[in-house]
Amino acid sequence: MVFNPPTDAGTLTSVGIDVGTTTTHVVVSELAVESAGASGSEKLAIGDRTVRFRGPVHETPLIDPETVDIDAVAELIASDLKTAGVAPEAIDTGAVIVTGETARTANAEPLAYQLADESGSFVVATAGAALEAILAGQGAGSAAYAADSGTTVANVDIGGGTTNTAIFDADGVVETRCLDVGGRLVGVADGKVTKLADPACTVSEAHGLGLAVGDPVDRETLSALATAMAGLVIDSLLGPPYDPLTRQLSIGSLPDEPQAIDSIVFTGGVGRLIGEYTAAAEDDPFAYNDLGPLLAGALSDAAADTGMTVTRLSEDLRATVIGAGTHTTQLSGRTVFIDLDLLPLRNLPVVSAGSLADIDDSDLTAAFSTVLSQATQRYDVRDVGGVAIAIDDVGDLSYDRLRAVAASFAAALQDGYSASVPIVVVTEQNCAKALGQLLRARCADWPLTVIDELAVSTGSYLDIGEPIAHGETVPAVVKTLVFGS
Amino acid sequence: MTTTNPPDDHDDRLDRIADRNPSRLGVGRAGSRPRTQTLLEFRSDHGIARDAVQSHVSDALVEEMGLFAIQTLVEDKDAYLARPDKGREIAAETAELLREECQQSPQVQLIVADGLSSTAIEKNIPDLLPILLDGLDQRGLDVGTPIFVTYGRVDVMDAIGEELDAESCLVLIGERPGLATAESLSAYMVYGPERGTPTAKKTVISNIHAGGLPPVEAGAEIVDLIAEMCDKQASGLDLTAADREFAKG
Repeated sequence: MVFNPPTDAGTLTSVGIDVGTTTTHVVVSELAVESAGASGSEKLAIGDRTVRFRGPVHETPLIDPETVDIDAVAELIASDLKTAGVAPEAIDTGAVIVTGETARTANAEPLAYQLADESGSFVVATAGAALEAILAGQGAGSAAYAADSGTTVANVDIGGGTTNTAIFDADGVVETRCLDVGGRLVGVADGKVTKLADPACTVSEAHGLGLAVGDPVDRETLSALATAMAGLVIDSLLGPPYDPLTRQLSIGSLPDEPQAIDSIVFTGGVGRLIGEYTAAAEDDPFAYNDLGPLLAGALSDAAADTGMTVTRLSEDLRATVIGAGTHTTQLSGRTVFIDLDLLPLRNLPVVSAGSLADIDDSDLTAAFSTVLSQATQRYDVRDVGGVAIAIDDVGDLSYDRLRAVAASFAAALQDGYSASVPIVVVTEQNCAKALGQLLRARCADWPLTVIDELAVSTGSYLDIGEPIAHGETVPAVVKTLVFGS
Repeated sequence: MTTTNPPDDHDDRLDRIADRNPSRLGVGRAGSRPRTQTLLEFRSDHGIARDAVQSHVSDALVEEMGLFAIQTLVEDKDAYLARPDKGREIAAETAELLREECQQSPQVQLIVADGLSSTAIEKNIPDLLPILLDGLDQRGLDVGTPIFVTYGRVDVMDAIGEELDAESCLVLIGERPGLATAESLSAYMVYGPERGTPTAKKTVISNIHAGGLPPVEAGAEIVDLIAEMCDKQASGLDLTAADREFAKG
């Protein structure tokens, strides 16, 4: 690469917006783009992440329990960004994440897209319990703590509707374990139980607590419910084997192998209460009109019984939103082949060709045809604006091999893909510019972009922003969209 | 004598740090000296580095790549190391030969020079050169007769470019080998080559080898840079000045 001083690359202004079951927040961060090494051939990476603005915690405005008030949320965010002194044009990147029960409301998807569109040119919309869990762990600093200490850390993010656990070791995410357990599954007002969401009913029934909406508040019964819920959270960390009730309340599947955990970090609204759980909460456990303080107390006790260390880090309440603002964006390699007219690209479905290392030159066309036909069968490529084909390993990084890959890909493209629909190729090896040049020679008019040094897999979605750092790299966000599931 | 820190006693974290860096980290010691294994590896790498400097690029490669071979004023390896000035200049007869045998006034004059690592040329040129020529052709740039220079220094491109009246010049040259790799290649480029052009007016891509910037990717990157150089009629700091924000005052 061309020698540029590492400081040359600049900073990105990133916004994180979390619309959760109970609360909505905004953070604005500065991400420093840095060169990893002195030789100049290493890819640029996001280095220091500084949170510049932490917005106030808003109650998520709802029209009814199934519907988020999109306009009211948009107003809250616009006003927070104004307070932060950040114009939408100044926002380079970021993510809107719709979390917890809110992700399952009827209008979660339009909500996320509208907010992303209004918040800056490359702010992306994401959702999904596993992603939430990982972002919370990154935002809280659990991932960094695991990497620094060389220990295994479970970041347990407990909000109003869900508990999202991500387990990190020194190398990154190990797995996620998510449950329908949260503080707002039970509502309390004027001495009566006003809300009992389905998962709370399930636990109540299983433990013979006989709770029902309209019951007078009975602290002992609600404490028993909180203890039962806390037990499920701990069970999800210790299993398998799992309590059948844990399985019933799990979001997605739970891992089949137990995982040794050195310490637990609690984050999210209820997680923060664990840290702050004091005599005051003991005196008025229904200060938030929900089960939060009781659940926090029960979790604190249950965690102590496991023998795992409970660790506190600086970010708890805003862990997910900080993760969304600071950890969703990745950078491509420094030599890429891009068609500026195509960018930014959003929500491109990814189909992976896997590793081609063991496929002979003569069989490459067949391999690419198979991948492209998978893509066209799964997606209406014209409708979704193109697809991204991921290649884990092209084989030898030789001229002859890349030429064979390009020729085969071009042949498969002309044969089995809609003409003039954008195609993106993502390689893990540093070869995007070479592959792009070779492909361009073989399909001159096709809208084509090739980026590298990113790992993506089938079923994920890819957003690619406009080039930054003097055109040397493009920001990319790899997402798993699971709206409404 | 005590042996400390044997490799199998490593902490995982030390392994991770060592894996990220080609340096000899956490290799342990035997008393106050390196372990035998470490010493042998060090000597072996040093031998590879010396070979890279002392060996010659094979005639077969020069022929296979279709390069027109010439030599600088230097007569042997010892003189090459002792007299950098001679490695930047060609004899009057060589200049005459170039004008007779090579294309005059090309937009891009391509030169391959052994420099301080013939190994770098042998390892990288077969993958770099063809994609570079493809790309320059795709951009419609007129490439002159590619030349191979024995005992060449970077600035030999100024002399050759001047003699052939090239608009721009590119030299692919073996870098001084180190103990981490002996096969690293650099590409130096200049717009409007003439003898005595300062280094500040030259653009460089370095660290081209399998463990750095892969040669095939480097070829495509050089194409972009040369196209930009010809477009903006500048190279080196003149080319990047517009991109930089110098603090004023």
